[in-house]
Amino acid sequence: MRVAFLGLAHVHVENYVSILESLPNVDLIGCAEREGLSSPCRTFTGVQMYPSVSLLLEGCPDAVIICSETAHHRELVEQAAAAGAHILCEKPIATTLEDALAMNAACQKAGVQFMTAFPMRFDATLEQTRQELQAGSLGQVLGVVGVNYSVNPSAHDAWFADPALAGGGAAMDHVVHLADLYRWCFGCEIREVYATLGRTPGSSVETSGLLLVTLENGVQASIDCSWSRPGSYPRWGQLTLEIVAENGALRVDPFAEHLSLYGNTLPGPQWVSFSPDPNRAMLRAFLESVERGSPPPVTWLDGYRALQVVLGAYASNQSGQPEVLSSEIN
Amino acid sequence: MTQLRVGILGSGAMARTHLNAWKALGAPWIGIQDRNLEATTALGATFGAQVCHTPEALLEDCDLLDVCLPTFLHREAVGKAARAGKHVLCEKPLALSLEDGTAMIHACEAAGVRLYVAQVLRFFPQYRQAAQLARAGQLGTLQVMRFKRVGAPPYGGSSWFADDALSGGVVVDMMLHDLDYALMLAGEVKRAFARITRTPDKQYVQAVLTHSSGVLSHFESGWAYAPGLFRTAFDLAGDAGLLEWSSDAPGPLTRMPLEEEVRQGVLLPEVSAASDPYTAQLEHAAHCFETGEPFEVTPQDALSALRVALAVRESAQSGRPVSLERAL
Repeated sequence: MRVAFLGLAHVHVENYVSILESLPNVDLIGCAEREGLSSPCRTFTGVQMYPSVSLLLEGCPDAVIICSETAHHRELVEQAAAAGAHILCEKPIATTLEDALAMNAACQKAGVQFMTAFPMRFDATLEQTRQELQAGSLGQVLGVVGVNYSVNPSAHDAWFADPALAGGGAAMDHVVHLADLYRWCFGCEIREVYATLGRTPGSSVETSGLLLVTLENGVQASIDCSWSRPGSYPRWGQLTLEIVAENGALRVDPFAEHLSLYGNTLPGPQWVSFSPDPNRAMLRAFLESVERGSPPPVTWLDGYRALQVVLGAYASNQSGQPEVLSSEIN
Repeated sequence: MTQLRVGILGSGAMARTHLNAWKALGAPWIGIQDRNLEATTALGATFGAQVCHTPEALLEDCDLLDVCLPTFLHREAVGKAARAGKHVLCEKPLALSLEDGTAMIHACEAAGVRLYVAQVLRFFPQYRQAAQLARAGQLGTLQVMRFKRVGAPPYGGSSWFADDALSGGVVVDMMLHDLDYALMLAGEVKRAFARITRTPDKQYVQAVLTHSSGVLSHFESGWAYAPGLFRTAFDLAGDAGLLEWSSDAPGPLTRMPLEEEVRQGVLLPEVSAASDPYTAQLEHAAHCFETGEPFEVTPQDALSALRVALAVRESAQSGRPVSLERAL
C-alpha cells in the first residue's frame, strides 16, 4: 500500500507518520506541502519531501492523508481525487459547508473514498459506551456532560488561531470530536445548538466555548471546547464524557490510563499514556478499507454533520439563540 | 465563642447541621422549634437544646432566629423575626421568588434587624482557597468556569424538595450555590441558557452563562444519581492559570475495602471536622451580628443569585435563552 501525506500543518501528523512507519505493508512514499507555503511545516528523517503536491501525486499513491491547514483541505482533496487516491482527511473536514460539499463532489466524481479522521470512534472504551447506550441498559439518559478542553495549540502551531487558515479557534478545533461521538453513540443527529464563545485579550479567534446541544432523541449534551488548559498542563488536555441516566451514571475517560512522569528538566508532571493509541486503530481501519475497496468506517457525511454543529455554534454565539441545524445536505 | 442566644426553626438536615455548629461555637442558649415534635425532641436531646412549642416562644428567648425551614416557609418566618426585632439567619435559597426575597430584605431593613443568608459554599475550604488564588491573580483573567453539583434525589424524590412550588426545584435549591460563587468570581450575568430533563423522581439540569465580563460558565446540577451518591466539582480557567477540584479525589482518610454504607435523606457534601464550612459560616455570621461588620454574603448577593437561578430555570422551561442585562 502506497501512502502519501498532503500537508503537514496538523499537529497529529507526527504521530501518524510514526504509526505508518511501524505498520507492515505500508510504503510511505513521501510528503508534500500545499502551494504557497515557503517552507514545510515539518520534516521527517527518512521520509521524502516532494517539492509539490502534483509531483508527489504523479507517483500514484493508493491513499493520501490530508493534514494541511483546514482551509486548504478542499484544494488538496480535489487534487488527490483527480489523481485517483483514496483520502483520509484531518478534522474538521473544512471551514465552510460549501468547501465540504465540493470535496464530496470531487471524490464521488473520481470514485475515490473519503474518510474523516475521527480517531475517538476507534477507542475501545468509547465503543463499549456506545454499545451500552444502544442496548439501552442505562435507561433514559438525563444528560451528557462532554469536555474536550486543551492547551492553546497555537503556542506550537500558530495557524490553529488564524481564522483564514483554521476557520475559527477553539470551537473549530474541538467541537467536532464530541459532536461526532454524540451522533455515533446515540445513533441520531444533533438537532439544535446553543453556544457562547469567549476570547482572551489579544486573540483574534475564540479561545473558550460552551455548547449545550439537543439531539433528535431529546437528549441534552454539553461540549466544553475551550483552550483553557495552561501550557504546563500534564497533557494536551482532556476528552471525557459523563452520561447521567436513570439507571446510573457513566464516567468515560478514554485517556485515563497514564503514568505521571516527573523530572528535574520537565516543567511539571507529564501524563504518559499506557493504553492503545486510537490513531493507530483509525489508520489501520482506513488502510483496510482502501485495500478491500469497502466504504470507510467514518464517512464524509460524518465530517459534514460535525462541521454543521461547529457552524451552528458560531451562528448561535452571534444570535444569542439556539440554532436548529438543517437536516438537508446543501 | 459567641454570646448569641440562638433559636432554630426546623428539624431537618440543616437544623441538625446548624445545631451541631452552634454547639461547637459555644452558643450560651440554643432553642429549637418545629411542627415535627418528635424530630425536634430528638434533636433537642441530642444537642442539649431547649425545645420550644411555638415560634413565638422561641423568638421570645433568642437574639437570633436561625431559619432552617423548607424554602416555601422562609418569608413568613423571616417576617416574624423582623417584627419581633430579632436578627435573622436564613437558610438558602432566600426565597422562591424575587418578590418574596425583596420583601424579606425590606422587612428586615424596616425593623432595623440584620439578615444573613446561608450560602455556605463560600465557606467550603476548597472553594475559599480557589477564590483567594483567583483574587490574588494566580489565574490571570478568568476565561471559563465549570461547576458540578449532582446527587441522589432527597428522600428518594418523595419530599417537599421534589415539588418545585415548595423548593424551587434543583436549580433554585442546588445550582444556586454555584451560581452565587460564579457571580462572586466573574460578576453579573448577561445571558443564561439551560436544559432540564425530568423523570417522575429525578431532575437534571445543565446551564451555560455568559457573564458581562466575558467569562463563560457551565453548571451541571441534578437530583439524578443512585441513593447515597453526591458529587461536586469545579474547574476555573484563566489565561494564566487553572484550578481543578473534584469530590471524586480521595480524601485524607480512605478505608479499604470501600464502605458500602448508603447515605439517605438530604445529602450534604463530605466535610472534614477540622474545616467544617457550616461551623465556619455560622462563626462568621455570629461575629458580624455581634460586631456589626459586613457579611461575606449580603442580602443583595442572595437576591442576585436567586435572580440568576430563576433565569436559568425559566430558560430550562422555555428552551429559550434569558437575557439578564439590566435595563438602563
